[in-house]
Amino acid sequence: MSEFEKEEKLKAGLEAKFGGAISEMTIQRKDRVWFELTPERLPELMKLMKTELGYDHLATISGFDGGENLGGNYHLTDTHSIVTVRVKTPRTAPHLPTVTGVFPGAEPYERELEDLFGIKIDGLKPGRRYPLPDDFPANQHPLRKDWKVSDVYPEEKTAPATEAE
Amino acid sequence: MSKMTIPLGPQHPALKEPVNFTLVLEGEQITGSAVNLGYNHRGVEKAAENRTFLQDIYLIERICGICSHSHTTCYVTCVEEIAKAEVPERAKAIRTLVGELERVHSHLLWLGIAGYEMGFETLFMYTWRDREQVLDCLELVSGNRVHYGINTIGGVRRDITPGQKTEILKRLAILEERTKYYVKLGTEEATVLARTQNVGLLPHDIALERGAVGPTARASNVKRDVRKDAPYLIYDKLDFNLITHNTNDVFGRLVVRVLELVESYKMIRQILNYLPEGPIAVKVPAKIGPGEAVNRYEAPRGEDIHYVKANGTDKPERAKVRAPTMANYPSVSYMLDGGYLADVPMVIAAIDPCMSCTDRAMVYNTKTDKVQIYGWDELRKYGIEQYKKKGVDFSKL
Repeated sequence: MSEFEKEEKLKAGLEAKFGGAISEMTIQRKDRVWFELTPERLPELMKLMKTELGYDHLATISGFDGGENLGGNYHLTDTHSIVTVRVKTPRTAPHLPTVTGVFPGAEPYERELEDLFGIKIDGLKPGRRYPLPDDFPANQHPLRKDWKVSDVYPEEKTAPATEAE
Repeated sequence: MSKMTIPLGPQHPALKEPVNFTLVLEGEQITGSAVNLGYNHRGVEKAAENRTFLQDIYLIERICGICSHSHTTCYVTCVEEIAKAEVPERAKAIRTLVGELERVHSHLLWLGIAGYEMGFETLFMYTWRDREQVLDCLELVSGNRVHYGINTIGGVRRDITPGQKTEILKRLAILEERTKYYVKLGTEEATVLARTQNVGLLPHDIALERGAVGPTARASNVKRDVRKDAPYLIYDKLDFNLITHNTNDVFGRLVVRVLELVESYKMIRQILNYLPEGPIAVKVPAKIGPGEAVNRYEAPRGEDIHYVKANGTDKPERAKVRAPTMANYPSVSYMLDGGYLADVPMVIAAIDPCMSCTDRAMVYNTKTDKVQIYGWDELRKYGIEQYKKKGVDFSKL
């Protein structure tokens, strides 16, 4: 237990409740816990974290493109420490459940996942897209690794002079 | 009475920030509102992936013109954590110093905007004049008024000399004196009270529910401040108070910011006295990782969070930024509902949305085909001469 008492306790508690759904749980340092979760149980975990464990602030969701999988890092905080929940979804048909039922403030972060990574968020209420412009092609997702500016703006074939060599 | 839907923005009467609000009105009262963002999306995160870690500091500094130091500090702490770099204590102290000076300039700027929005333009002129004192301090330390460029991976780029310390303390004394006046004015002046009390209400539980951060949350009695909750840099060595207020309205947000100014002055004095001797930076290899890190920073507007993933090359695999204003927008539509159209600019401005400002004028002379760059002194001299021609003499001011 020692110096990571709080983190060890959280780890043991979550592993007991979610068992096989949680993998790769690591305590990076004091106040930083990372783990991976199967997407189906995401809303359930969020609810537990918020109501019972005091992690009542979803700071943001950082999406990622990991090749075969797309996904998101959900950074939760109880004001002192940050717990990052990583969920993955296959690139061929990417979709994740919404967490707006638990954290209403997550709406813009989820729209970011939809727009920039093309991950469909199941259960997200219809609304205006964010952050891309209204006339941006719907099937283009800029933060995917294989996306290039020239896919949407063909006239910008060469990188601007400010780009790093 | 029939309902009417009006769009407000993205080109604004209220803000210099492109954001669109759809307001549903019944008479003058707002019955529904929606915030539409994204007009300022510049693809910074994608651009960051194409640049080296060092070049990204330059890019990330330009996310915001006001909290530029907040973003770079948050970003470099992530990079340093992945690289396992030990930042010297003196560098941490200098980062904290610039961070607090930045908070002072940002809060004074906000106070001016608030004065402007409530129709109290004298307050705007006073605070922006006094803000020059802190901008001078920042210019003294970094050479710049807005983008300080003080951070580098592994430390800071400029040291603080004893001469600079004296100059900062001199200006701090003026600011402390002036802020006493603002505290009195903010809490007693009839105009301020009439325009801010019970305007833009955000109850405590709604602030928590919608994830509000910074002074916006603290005015709803949410005791959250990253500097206290998860101290970074040298905040664990500083003695300061967490300011909250319980009125949940624009008045509360004003009081929180003004009292935070006082705390910042306290901290700046402590940092200047503390400044340990030693190097200001360590060398960090260009290729970093693999690894990932997530860190938070209490920017003037609230919690700023950065996530960086490195893959062993000199460029980040992913860099994610969530600025405080983003976390506060969901609360704005709540604050607007049930309020009046006339209060809209006040309420929106009260979360202190970001905007950029610039310095120094470049004059292009068409006759000689030359560009002349004016510094502050020359610009002032030029201004005085111009007005003298019109018969007004400002040279004694």
